[in-house]
Amino acid sequence: MNLPFEIVMDLLGLSISAFIGRFAFSGYSSIGSPTLLRLTFAFCAIAVGFAILLGSLFAGSEQYYRLMLTVGLGFQAIGYFFIAFSHSLKSFDFVRRPKGYHMSFFFAPLVTAFIIPGNSIEHLIRSISFILLVYVSIETMASYMQTRKTSTLLLGSGLGLLATSELMAWYNFIFPGSIFYYIAISIKVAGFAMIFIPFSRFGMKSGLGRVNPQVGSGI
Amino acid sequence: MAVAYRTHVSIIADILLTAKEYSYEGRDNGATVTNLIRRANVPYQRLSSIVSQLTRSGLLQTIPDNSTKYRISDKGIEFLNAYTDFKDFAENFGLKV
Repeated sequence: MNLPFEIVMDLLGLSISAFIGRFAFSGYSSIGSPTLLRLTFAFCAIAVGFAILLGSLFAGSEQYYRLMLTVGLGFQAIGYFFIAFSHSLKSFDFVRRPKGYHMSFFFAPLVTAFIIPGNSIEHLIRSISFILLVYVSIETMASYMQTRKTSTLLLGSGLGLLATSELMAWYNFIFPGSIFYYIAISIKVAGFAMIFIPFSRFGMKSGLGRVNPQVGSGI
Repeated sequence: MAVAYRTHVSIIADILLTAKEYSYEGRDNGATVTNLIRRANVPYQRLSSIVSQLTRSGLLQTIPDNSTKYRISDKGIEFLNAYTDFKDFAENFGLKV
């Protein structure tokens, strides 16, 4: 295990996701948008996940290491779920669809059954994260096709890289102890860095996401 | 064809923008409810509940000598500035605030 490399990568992921979460929270407290609240939950959960993954590196035994790794990945999957949930609220109009439309969602487990392995909770969580990230990445790219904003392209690519990192980590399950694990961590942090680029200018403009008490709308 | 629905926050921003336009840009008499309905494109029932909510929050204020006209407050202008920033932030994700 290359400990310093993993520590640096987890710290980078933790700081980037915590920064975006803080910024999203300052947005929620300013304008009271539920979308920004969901993004706050998402990035805070991802940051907590990174913190637990970091803690797992200092776990005393292999058993605790596995447990903390699974819990950390679980938190990150919850974070990805909140981003995917925001996109689904935007894309699917659950009120005005024709009768029978909702039945199509029952087919989803049939698709995922081929992807999810049942022998490890850790890899099951990774599979769920992968599916959520692919969905979010496709939705973001679809938005890019409409808006043609470079920042949306960077974000979609970053989310795509996160999905790729989950896939690489999954390969590590097949070839344990191989280079796939380090490739996965590197790609994951590269993905977060790409997500961070569009938000760095927002953060700098608004004093690194500090909440201005004068702005709070109270609505 | 898919219809793009506005979120509650974007409707509030439209109402505040209209009030701002009638408060500062050469027409400092304030916006009437009719002005707000027309510009923000919101039905009367919904508008009146949102306007009273905004007045309570201090984002809108009534004109002192005419309680049927509304103007934007300093807090409302701060809200609009924050809305513009965070709208961009959410749009980067392909989301609406």
